[in-house]
Amino acid sequence: MLDGRLSLLTPEGISLALTPAGPGRRALAWGIDLAAWSLAVILLNMLVALLFGTDSTGRGFYLAGLFLTYWGYPVFCEVYCGGRTLGKRWMGLEVVRADGLPVGWRESVLRNLLLAADFLPFLYACGLVSMLCDRQFRRLGDLVAGTLVIYRTQPKRRAAVADVAPQPLPWPLSPREQRALLDLVERAGRLSPERAHELADLAEPLTGLRGAASLARLRAFAAGLTR
Amino acid sequence: MKQKQFEAQYGALWEQITQQLDGGKGADPTHFPAQYRQLCQCLALARQRGYSPSLTDYLHGQVLAAHRRLYGTPAERPLTLRHWLGRELPQRVRQEWRLLLLALLAFWGSTLLVGLLVAHDPQWAYSFSSAGELSQYQSMYAANKGKLGRTGGEDIAMFGFYIWNNVSICFRTFAGGLFLGIPALISLVGNGIHGGVIAAWLSQFDITRINFWSFVVTHSSFELTGLILSGLAGMRLGLSWLNPGRLSRRQALMLASQRMYPVLVGAALLTVLAAFFEAFWSAAGTIPPAAKFTVGGICWAAVIAFFALAGRERHAAR
Repeated sequence: MLDGRLSLLTPEGISLALTPAGPGRRALAWGIDLAAWSLAVILLNMLVALLFGTDSTGRGFYLAGLFLTYWGYPVFCEVYCGGRTLGKRWMGLEVVRADGLPVGWRESVLRNLLLAADFLPFLYACGLVSMLCDRQFRRLGDLVAGTLVIYRTQPKRRAAVADVAPQPLPWPLSPREQRALLDLVERAGRLSPERAHELADLAEPLTGLRGAASLARLRAFAAGLTR
Repeated sequence: MKQKQFEAQYGALWEQITQQLDGGKGADPTHFPAQYRQLCQCLALARQRGYSPSLTDYLHGQVLAAHRRLYGTPAERPLTLRHWLGRELPQRVRQEWRLLLLALLAFWGSTLLVGLLVAHDPQWAYSFSSAGELSQYQSMYAANKGKLGRTGGEDIAMFGFYIWNNVSICFRTFAGGLFLGIPALISLVGNGIHGGVIAAWLSQFDITRINFWSFVVTHSSFELTGLILSGLAGMRLGLSWLNPGRLSRRQALMLASQRMYPVLVGAALLTVLAAFFEAFWSAAGTIPPAAKFTVGGICWAAVIAFFALAGRERHAAR
């Protein structure tokens, strides 16, 4: 199948599909993280000014805090919050190891320290070139640490099987055709009626009907397949 | 089997898996592996029998989450850090003795060369550094009482500054190593030249000589080692990319980064330790220079002995 998904084979013989995220989405997530970090630094600055006034001790705490947040924030988020910084959470992304498992300290530290290498020569140019050259959109830090940034798969709810009187198919369908039929019936609720009818028209050789009648017949076939 | 029968038969199992993933009360983790294998079988069956996409997607999501829970749980290794620092760090550094030699040569070679040049003819200092900077350093170390080596500020303020500045330099040197090791080498040579100029310049005045050397002697043992180690780790990455041997370049990079990780952690810790000494010990004007030289000598000896001796196997046959 021609899509951007990456297929992982597990020891149980199941293939899991992961979808690597591209540079645009990741740049947005990075922008959100930068904004959050800047805000946190401003707040830290105000807090220090409040606690220590103009005393230079405050500046020491401020700089130590700057260091911890600058280098530590992404690592901490990735290790303890399921591979997601705030920006990645917002954009629906997460960092995983190349084998699809959550990242640990080593991977996270390496990939985030090498952000400094990705930044060179200006504005993440190296990282962008690396992402565009790599099939899985990995920047240099990802290549070295063996990590991936993927779209987080939302836990899905099962759709209830349609409750209409089932009808037998006029002739047997192949598994792929059955799947296409079930897919259409499940998606019909989320499409506009015109589009749903237009799609149902395509099944005229099977149903012998057009429009809403064809869709209703397809629902009955789907019920026959699933019940 | 029709989809509805299938759902009826395995629905309870899927509920249990959901409970396990949510960490619910009724979940017994000892059953989880068996339940997970059953779930994988459900997904395979659902795919092969062409059940509806929403069911396969649901099962796929569950398998993915359960897979991560089962295989992604890290083993508890409470002594990892001690093991790394006590054994792996010195072992790896000794294994990379050629690169260590190169890093030492880059740093100390440029320091000595420029230092001797400036000591021979102080005019040369102006080729590497501006007159304003030199006079600023001179005034920093000329003070007899109070704090040495700074333009102002308290211990804690300077501690924050050293952490932010020096550890960041350490990390950037490592990251720069990725590009064939050249930026890391440039960073080492650049820092070496700077140190050489300042040391030689301040050594020629009686008023700054003792102050300067007693200031740097203690924390330099940790700080310079940290810098050299981070440069070494960075250069290892760059070289593994240039010369991957029998591995693919990506695998060679990954392997090198995994091997160099303890070295990087050690370099960062040494730099933080150096910041402590630099802020709270080196600058104190009340401690006599003789004490500083003694402690500094002990620190240098400890660092060298650690990297030369620590982590050696007692029984070579093991």
